[in-house]
Amino acid sequence: MRAVDVLVVGAGPAGSIAAREAARASRGLEVVLLERDRAVGAPVRCAEGVGDAGLREFANPEGAPWVARKITRVIFLAPDDTEVQVAERDVGWILDRTRFDAFLASEAVAAGADLQVGTEATGMTREPDGRWAVTVRGPGGRDVVRARVVIGADGVETMVGRWAGLDTRVPARDMESCAQYVVQGIDFDPDAIYLQFGEDIAPGGYAWLFPKGEGVANVGLGIVALKSDGRNARAYLDAWIARRYPRGARTGYTVGGVIVHTTVRQAYTDGVLVAGDAAHMINPLSGGGIVNAMKAGRLAGRTAAAAICTGDTSAGRLAAYHRDWMQLLGDDHLKYYRIKQALEHLDDAFFNGLARTVNAIPREKRTLGRIFAHALVKHPQMIPVAARFFI
Amino acid sequence: MPSVRAAEVAVVDLDVCDRCGLCLPLCPPEAIHLDSTALVIDRVACTGCRKCIAPCPVGALAMTAA
Repeated sequence: MRAVDVLVVGAGPAGSIAAREAARASRGLEVVLLERDRAVGAPVRCAEGVGDAGLREFANPEGAPWVARKITRVIFLAPDDTEVQVAERDVGWILDRTRFDAFLASEAVAAGADLQVGTEATGMTREPDGRWAVTVRGPGGRDVVRARVVIGADGVETMVGRWAGLDTRVPARDMESCAQYVVQGIDFDPDAIYLQFGEDIAPGGYAWLFPKGEGVANVGLGIVALKSDGRNARAYLDAWIARRYPRGARTGYTVGGVIVHTTVRQAYTDGVLVAGDAAHMINPLSGGGIVNAMKAGRLAGRTAAAAICTGDTSAGRLAAYHRDWMQLLGDDHLKYYRIKQALEHLDDAFFNGLARTVNAIPREKRTLGRIFAHALVKHPQMIPVAARFFI
Repeated sequence: MPSVRAAEVAVVDLDVCDRCGLCLPLCPPEAIHLDSTALVIDRVACTGCRKCIAPCPVGALAMTAA
């Protein structure tokens, strides 16, 4: 039996930043960070792409050992393979998530948190004094950790959210089923990410190539199973790779779910906060979750620390976390979700036509705003769709 | 508790399952659990709704007679 102030479950980006921020907020707080797997950051279940500005709020990527590649271009592929290059500069980075997650966890430890790898939370109950008793299983056997605040950063399957009585379920239409290979020995622009849409390529999602170096990339896709022709994500990916990168060596493989919904109705309850994928804090348009998770973790860690210092860890006090999150990004995700719903009504012919229209614009002038404007002029059927973006 | 049981329930092939956790939030009665070693489906809680079957990226889930 051990008593702590903050127990963070899951040492991904949300959990490590939450632990770091809680420990930094008040040196006197005892913060424990649990990781179920034996190594932080492995196995990787991620395409590893992250935007430049968001990342820099948390860590400097220049020359960092946890960066695989800097990205300066985006290449959209229409369903008929028409390439559209979009002019950008500091687009983002492809991370080495194994190293990146270990780096973030080490920052939490440097701030004073106690990291325990290979240690899994197996259940939790609320005690009469308001603390949570969390049963854990690790190298030292079974134990119980009593915590004033538990932060559930335990990913798409969040057991913490469930144990705390929060509704973390998601409708099937808002679940992307993803598969990805690491592919070696293929030809592509190593400074660009590639995104391809298409009803037969990745129904309800998109296929991607994210470079990890010259000739090496994460190649994957996400589909919404309800729109599938009966094949699973892996079968769609095998077909896409066979067509576009038939000579590549598939040297690694991963699968996973990306929730393209909006933030859970309630990301807090008495003595509990949930953050990152566990709270569906993912950009529903892009499926991007890393920066969202870090921003949520920062809010969760700081809110937990402040609540403990005031002696009030009730749901009423912790509700500030949810409000702050919605203001920071959650409300934006609601707008992106509406855009996603509107895009679902567009077919392959629309995207093929749009690609040709955009390619008529000089490359240096192809900003996303201009593309959107051209889409409205050349494709009037887009106007009712666009109108819905802002409702 | 309702006395009506589902005619079919979901089962997992643990040789195929990658333990990615995708199916957990899809399950309306929260009958699927994940720990560090395995995915576990509660056959009593499963309502046979099939919502978890198609989304599995590797096809590890199937229906069987309850």
